[in-house]
Amino acid sequence: MKDNNPLSPHIQIYNWHISSLISISHRITGVLNIVIITLICFWTISLLFGNVSYELVLNFLKSFFGKFFIIGISWSFSFQILSEIRHWFWDMGYGFEIKTSNISGILVIFGSFILTVLIYFLGRNLL
Amino acid sequence: MVQINLPKNSKIQKGNYYKDKTGSKNIKKVNIYRWDPSTGKNPRIDTYEVDMDNCPSKVLDILNKIKNEIDSSLAYRRSCSHGVCGSCAMNMDGKNGLACTKSHSEITGDINIYPLPHLKVLKDLIGDLSILYKQYESVEPWLKTSKVNDRKENIQSKEDRAKLDGLYECIMCACCSTACPSYWWNGDKYLGPAVLLQAYRWIIDSRDEDRKERLKKVADELKLYRCHTIMNCTNACPKGLNPAKAIASIKKMLATV
Repeated sequence: MKDNNPLSPHIQIYNWHISSLISISHRITGVLNIVIITLICFWTISLLFGNVSYELVLNFLKSFFGKFFIIGISWSFSFQILSEIRHWFWDMGYGFEIKTSNISGILVIFGSFILTVLIYFLGRNLL
Repeated sequence: MVQINLPKNSKIQKGNYYKDKTGSKNIKKVNIYRWDPSTGKNPRIDTYEVDMDNCPSKVLDILNKIKNEIDSSLAYRRSCSHGVCGSCAMNMDGKNGLACTKSHSEITGDINIYPLPHLKVLKDLIGDLSILYKQYESVEPWLKTSKVNDRKENIQSKEDRAKLDGLYECIMCACCSTACPSYWWNGDKYLGPAVLLQAYRWIIDSRDEDRKERLKKVADELKLYRCHTIMNCTNACPKGLNPAKAIASIKKMLATV
């Protein structure tokens, strides 16, 4: 009988809050960052094989898709870092009030984009 | 484990539509999750047109009105109707809360009412909380002291008593635990915000002599550390308490003591 009872709907009906949205993004960017770091490592290793392999990657990164990829990486890292700082404060016991956590959440979201732009400018020697 | 989709027997179907018979001009559509254990059918959403001119202010009043005037087969829990007993905890407008304290005027558009999320449904809006109660029992929520046979008062300073503020008010309505995605995916092992807040309530009580044991018992990868500070618990609590902070306080105690 018990197994026949349905499960009440959960993620399908539950509203997203700023904190839950950031929490899941934190996870996704975390996984992405591991993949990205691994890729960067492979790229670095490929330097050992000389010019050709280096230019292969470079040409990709210079393409439109490659630029999109790099900016994506910058955002992913920026978001992860800022969100992690938010977690540090939580671990020390601060910032649990709904209002504070909402404000810090918005700061993380906007901050991640600002940081991405900064990294972009830094990389292009525009700063 | 994470399972985004509902099992086959839990997929929601379209239900009945109850048209307004009062001829009122102030109508609100109320969509309610229904499941009848006697039929063997899948759950459905019934829609009721409710005359809001003759309905008091809370969501529970709507449910009472539907049960009294439109469809007496609707099942839900309720008792005190002023936010003290925690019986009428349910999911309204995508957020958990107590039907008796949630004003329907806060909800724009149709009102969607579901049982508390990710529970076995017993009937309509009634979810099965027996696992949560078992977990509550497991933190031994009572005072452990050697002063049982003392005939004197067990004195607590004002400061120590103040540490229980924001904890003792919890009515165990389960709004927080059933709002927590971690509890959805690992509800059999992770204790969840409600039970952890209760655990902390006894850990921090100056009169309790079992603090070390309590901390040791709760310090578990699954029981405690499944909390990833998603904050849905604190956002959901109808009493304005902060389970996320209580859990963080346990983690902090474990890290610093």
